[in-house]
Amino acid sequence: MTENTAKTEHKANEEEVIAKLDAFAELPDAPPKRRLKLSWVGKIAVGIVVFWMAVVVIGPYIAPFHEMDMDGDDSFLDAHSNEYGTFYLGTDYLGRDTLSRIAFGARNTIGISVIATLLAYCIGITLGIAAAVKGGWTDMIISRINDSILSLPAIMLGLIAIAALGSSVPILISIAAIIYATSVFRIARALGQDIMVQDFVEAAQARGEGLWWIIKSEVLPNAAMPLATDFGLRLVFVVLFISSLSFLGLGIQPPASDWGSMVRENLQGLVYGSYAAIWPAIAIATFTIAINLIVDDISAKSGGNLAKKMV
Amino acid sequence: MKDKKSVSGELGFSDLDSHHQALVEKILRKKRGGDYSRRDALKLMMATGVTAATASNLFVTGGQAMAQTPKKGGSVRFASSLHGPDDQLDPPKFTSTIDYTRGRATYNSLVQHANDLTPQPELAESFEPNADATEWTFKLRKDVTWHDGSPFTADDVVYSMSRHQGEDSTSVIKSVMASVDEWKKVGPHEVKAILNTPNADLAVLLGMFQNKVVKDGTTGDGIGTGPYTMESFEPGVKSVHKRNENYWRDGSNLDAIEITGITDPVARVNAVIAGDMDLVSLIEPKAFRQVEAAGNVTLLSAPAALQVGICILLNTAPGNNPDFVKGMQFIQDRERIVNKLLKGKGTIGNDTPISVAHGTDFCSELPQREFDPDKAKFHFKKAGISTAELFVAPVAPGIEDVSLLAQANAAKIGFDLKIKKVPTDGYWGAVWMKEPMNAVTWNMRPTANSQMAIQFAPGAEWNDTYWNNDRMGELLSLSLAETDSDKRHAMYCEMQTLIHEGSGMVIPAFSNINDAVANNIMGIPKVPLGQIGGCEWPEFIWLA
Amino acid sequence: MMAQMVLRRLGIGFIMLIVVSIIVFIGTSILPGDVAQIILGQSATPETLAALRAQLGTDQPLYIQYLSWLGNMMTGDLGISKAGGATIASLIGGRLGNTMMMAGIVSAIAIPLSVALGLWAAMHPGTWLDRIITFCTLSLISVPEFFIATILVLVLAVELHWLPSTAYLSGDETFWQLMKSLAMPLITLVIVVSAQMIRMTRAGILNVMSSPYIEMAILKGVPRRRIILRHAFFNAIGPIVNVIALNLAYLVSGVVIVETIFAYPGLAKLMIDGVQTRDLPLVQACAMIFSGTYVALILVADVASILSNPRLRQPK
Repeated sequence: MTENTAKTEHKANEEEVIAKLDAFAELPDAPPKRRLKLSWVGKIAVGIVVFWMAVVVIGPYIAPFHEMDMDGDDSFLDAHSNEYGTFYLGTDYLGRDTLSRIAFGARNTIGISVIATLLAYCIGITLGIAAAVKGGWTDMIISRINDSILSLPAIMLGLIAIAALGSSVPILISIAAIIYATSVFRIARALGQDIMVQDFVEAAQARGEGLWWIIKSEVLPNAAMPLATDFGLRLVFVVLFISSLSFLGLGIQPPASDWGSMVRENLQGLVYGSYAAIWPAIAIATFTIAINLIVDDISAKSGGNLAKKMV
Repeated sequence: MKDKKSVSGELGFSDLDSHHQALVEKILRKKRGGDYSRRDALKLMMATGVTAATASNLFVTGGQAMAQTPKKGGSVRFASSLHGPDDQLDPPKFTSTIDYTRGRATYNSLVQHANDLTPQPELAESFEPNADATEWTFKLRKDVTWHDGSPFTADDVVYSMSRHQGEDSTSVIKSVMASVDEWKKVGPHEVKAILNTPNADLAVLLGMFQNKVVKDGTTGDGIGTGPYTMESFEPGVKSVHKRNENYWRDGSNLDAIEITGITDPVARVNAVIAGDMDLVSLIEPKAFRQVEAAGNVTLLSAPAALQVGICILLNTAPGNNPDFVKGMQFIQDRERIVNKLLKGKGTIGNDTPISVAHGTDFCSELPQREFDPDKAKFHFKKAGISTAELFVAPVAPGIEDVSLLAQANAAKIGFDLKIKKVPTDGYWGAVWMKEPMNAVTWNMRPTANSQMAIQFAPGAEWNDTYWNNDRMGELLSLSLAETDSDKRHAMYCEMQTLIHEGSGMVIPAFSNINDAVANNIMGIPKVPLGQIGGCEWPEFIWLA
Repeated sequence: MMAQMVLRRLGIGFIMLIVVSIIVFIGTSILPGDVAQIILGQSATPETLAALRAQLGTDQPLYIQYLSWLGNMMTGDLGISKAGGATIASLIGGRLGNTMMMAGIVSAIAIPLSVALGLWAAMHPGTWLDRIITFCTLSLISVPEFFIATILVLVLAVELHWLPSTAYLSGDETFWQLMKSLAMPLITLVIVVSAQMIRMTRAGILNVMSSPYIEMAILKGVPRRRIILRHAFFNAIGPIVNVIALNLAYLVSGVVIVETIFAYPGLAKLMIDGVQTRDLPLVQACAMIFSGTYVALILVADVASILSNPRLRQPK
């Protein structure tokens, strides 16, 4: 037998074992299987997310105005029409069409927050679970570097990074991803450590399972739910982080804008009964709440079946 | 505004509000068949020997202070728009409204500005130039004491004024005061300024915020000669000032003032309307309606030459193409900027730094450049340029909005004006005078000459459009020596025309200085050089 | 065993502070413009810049500036603000107290509230009660802090005149006056930090509820209150304490917006001001406080999770 075939055979054996183990999935101590059956709340939430995703794609093409056009009769007006068109949601502080600006802004808010959060999760989970599983010096070094970044306020790191590198969408995404990866790391590591000392992991270790197998089959499924809950929140934080940069006069380059900055620049309008600050706030709220409700629905379906029966 | 009109007998020109000042000017002009200028006023003042006692009456608003005798007592809280750990008590380092206001409460200058910017005696009883304005003599008051009780003398003045000179000076106004070679003590209460070039405006310059007099040997520890003593000072938090009972003038009407900062513009307006603050500086155009609608506060809006400018560097692309500059000037919708962006609290600019607020030196004959997209399109096309980048930081009120409007209008004629928003910190070092096109503003200078010289004198340190015009340089010095007001006006007009035609400045508008104060505050001065009456209010206001 | 671990962690924390100080020092000095440039602003000339740099000692090479800062720091001398000239100790003193007071009161309200609501929601997952709690917390965190803060000011201060619009401290107020001054930022911050803690508590407990030993307990017929309070809660403490620690660190270092809107003199705004004026000693001092606080909080969180999970107590 050549070495190669031996390897293949060994691999085949491995797969067989995995398949056998998978058959145990229905046992109570196995990670619960995912079944995506949403409640009606979850369905509405999915509808909302799909709606906003559609706006991201086609928003700028169907918006009645360009986001930079100052065609309104005046600032902070309610819905009105003039020779340029109709302002369905009224105008903002510069006389721009609020509806069009929300349609254009969806790209920045949703695009940046989703990409940055996903990126933060890739970085944070990989490093966090690696630290938990490996332990020892690896854990120590990664954790301390992570803590050094995490111990400084996010807005200050953003301020320094933007002042040094300039403000553009890729830079904003990278900054947000790195800053929020640090918190993901801590949660992933804590969960990983908790799970690493559970019986089933110890059993797997005793069986001589590989590191990746343990992570994939034991750690990740068990850490998935709290991490998913955190994902929804993290997404909100990225949206808010971008808008808090606008508080310092940084952030997206004008005339483009994100919803958070639109809330900020139109706050004064609240006094005049203008909805220019409220519409983008509603946009943020609907999008982020919908994402979180979907996350909740998935995690409610996927875990704690017995616990639910109990209540 | 809360203007209780009444005019009593013993009034100076500056007692009048701007409306009345304009009237008096008209009458004087008719009477003498000439121009009534600030310079004439200065001569008049000096000839009639204005004393400090009457001077204190000269700085209050319109007729209102005269209507009733100021009431004594009470205290106010003032919130400025900017403050931080870099707050200063050392006058040569003053850079913001909160510093200026604390300086005004704590110290005095040799000379102070009246509402019409004429220099008035303060710590100097009298001041006089020699015939060619190369030497100025200042006679100091003898009855002044420092807050610690020690007497005020010529040594203090020589020390304080010399801090703006010399190699190791770090004064913010070092170059403004560069015409003075030396400050000399002549007697215990007399000093002389020896100049290297004639400067008839020196007295006006001495009224600047940074020219406050501190005690000999100190670097601004809060011991001054001013109307308030410093109770406490926490940079970036607040300061508390108590009435100086031994003040050499009538002194403040209030018992105490507290000075703090609220950097968020929305919060600042809400604070004054909610009654938590009595005076707040810098109200954004967005908030005008809210302030005007509130029953308990007044919006103060003082016309000033606060330029909302765009600086195009002429020594590099795209500014080295004159048609590009013209295109940028024609794309400015000046009417809309003033009416919609500044909500009417501003004046239209004509691409020169001189506004009506500079008085008779303003060239009203110069034809107004209008918003003309077709001409802009023509010039951009002729220049062969279809895109450009404008660096903007919120350095001037409304500058971002002005840039956004230009961008939107440029887009409509197919020109892609990119806006690069950058932080304010580091702006003056990293962007201004470096990037080919950037937002700019200049504090209003008390004279048209110094306003233009600082920015447009050939080879000047801060010639920020790199426009070097020899005729401009010639006129700047000729006009300083010219005493005939008609000829002088002609010179100022020629200079403004040169800037309007040739420089790289786009100045579509001037913003007013906008502040809000509680209705019960009376007697606010109207010096247009800074927020709330040029930060002159602490000594003069009173509570109704 | 435990003491040894704590000591070791403190030592590591110290090294971390040094690392942070280097990062911050380099980060702040690569920004465009230095402190002299920013003090002089538009009025800077080459001569005044050179003179001011010499006066402030910022004309020295960076590593010398850093080492001299480090040397002074070790002897307890925080130095002098380059931008303003006040001592760093005097700038920080009052603000540190303000920040700690705010963080203390907020956490005293927010932590019990969040844990209780999170527990409550976790006991009834998928019910209307759970959904209402979820919906409210999500709504409140998904809108920016400045929006919540401004609406509170407009309603409670400008319209109703119940509370002051700014957290202006005159320094001689009674306890109740103090509470009234602080009420608005307190409410805003409690809202902001509670939401995340409620959600993470709920998620942590639900996660534990699906573990085999809980299912075993359920099958054995242990009452559900007992299960959640005795078993699930203690096993969920690790992640929950971590989230609480991160939120506390945020309360100390990250509340710039709330401090700005309510003009509350705290440390977060001070550090931003320091960065914006390139005031290195000031930024460093703030960074040391923030990182130190963080190290302490995380240490407490880790000790708590180790104590709550006996398995972690055994060294591997």
